[in-house]
Amino acid sequence: MKVEVMPEVCQGHGRCQERCPEVFGTDAIEGKCMILMPEVPPELEHKARLAVKNCPEGALVISSD
Amino acid sequence: MSTGRYFPSPPDHVPAGRMHEFDIYRFSPGVNDPLEQWGSLLASDAPRIFYTHHNGGHWVFLDYEDVREAFRNDSLFSTYQTPIPPIEPYPVMQPQGVDPPEHKTFRSLLAPLFTPVAVEKMKAELHRRSGVLLDAFAGRGACEFGRDFASLLPTGMFLYLMGMPEDRLMEFVHLAEVFMRSNDDAERATNIQQIYTVIGEYLAWRATRLGDDLGSVLVKARDENGQPLDHQDVLNCGFLLFVAGLDTVTSTMTFIWRHLAHNHAARRALTAIIDDREKLSVAVDELLRMHAVPNIYRRVKKDMVYRGVTMKENDRVVLPVSVANRNESVFAHADTIDLQREINNHLTFGAGPHRCVGSHLAKTEVTVALQEWLRRIPDFEVPAGAEIVGHMGPTLGFNRLPLVWTPAA
Repeated sequence: MKVEVMPEVCQGHGRCQERCPEVFGTDAIEGKCMILMPEVPPELEHKARLAVKNCPEGALVISSD
Repeated sequence: MSTGRYFPSPPDHVPAGRMHEFDIYRFSPGVNDPLEQWGSLLASDAPRIFYTHHNGGHWVFLDYEDVREAFRNDSLFSTYQTPIPPIEPYPVMQPQGVDPPEHKTFRSLLAPLFTPVAVEKMKAELHRRSGVLLDAFAGRGACEFGRDFASLLPTGMFLYLMGMPEDRLMEFVHLAEVFMRSNDDAERATNIQQIYTVIGEYLAWRATRLGDDLGSVLVKARDENGQPLDHQDVLNCGFLLFVAGLDTVTSTMTFIWRHLAHNHAARRALTAIIDDREKLSVAVDELLRMHAVPNIYRRVKKDMVYRGVTMKENDRVVLPVSVANRNESVFAHADTIDLQREINNHLTFGAGPHRCVGSHLAKTEVTVALQEWLRRIPDFEVPAGAEIVGHMGPTLGFNRLPLVWTPAA
């Protein structure tokens, strides 16, 4: 499973990082999402999916399964 | 009421079927809980987009998707000149009151100061401040929560971050309260001038002794050509910081603590996860969903038909976040507080280009306050017979919240 962020849609809510800090971080300039782990290992897939669903802007996509 | 350049026109374009009787500043008879007052709209016969003639006339959006759209679609809904009731002149708050892309100048200035990375470094100070406040009254077994804690923590932290002297704290608490709670024209005009005076005097003082505080960041800011930013804009940014982060966090906390005072199970559940960062974050998001205090304002940018509804340029729109956050179509069992809610796209901090820049600080203030409070006062309640009176307006809250508990031996 891979995750991607659409940086122009992200508004820096930071919910992804709170839900799954292993996969998602935030930058120090605008607080926007930084993918720390583009290839999500199986044991983190559930958490990463929840993080994607918790983006209020819909800025995160699961790009392949 | 006088008129101004951005005042809405009379509602001749609003059909009778879109009209609904609702005053955002007033309770219905017998109601004193602002969340109940607003929440009742979802179960009422009010159209999901309705118009009320109160407070100069404005629309109210009740559906989550419409509230979210108005937050995100700045080509239809502007943040420029939105006050309800309309008043001019009104501060063009930077960056909140400016549409993209012009909002970028001040947004870029503030954003790095309030990222999760930046707020993480404020945590120790928040723990220290919460502890000092709590130690003053935890042994007494009683407090007036708003006065003794919920107003002092965010206001004190604001003064600390701004580099302002803390001896004027109570004065600032009062100014922020009036700004958020008054709909009296004369009182509001005076209040706006008083806040400008405070900000202007402070920034002038700070300009002679620059540090690494937020005030110095504003004073030192330069545009891409190395020139100082427009002085009025700098004042307007200071104004925004002053009004945005004080009363809002205070009101949010009074709602959350009232909920906990009435819910033993919720107190137990929070205490059990108080040191689990991820679980506590999920729980706090749910408390923030159900206790969203802001009614955000927008101004219709041009004549349009939005979802079949004719709207005119300068029409005001109220986005009641507490209502959006309780849409059953988005949040399963929306009226139930589920501290483990898996999917929670609440709009408490808005969305889109003006997403609350201080949201991470606000959330951390609430989180740290819960941690320090529950460690010292795991059980507490509202004393029997106490009357809790709420207030309406651009933010919802309670004017006072007395709490009692059995002090630790």
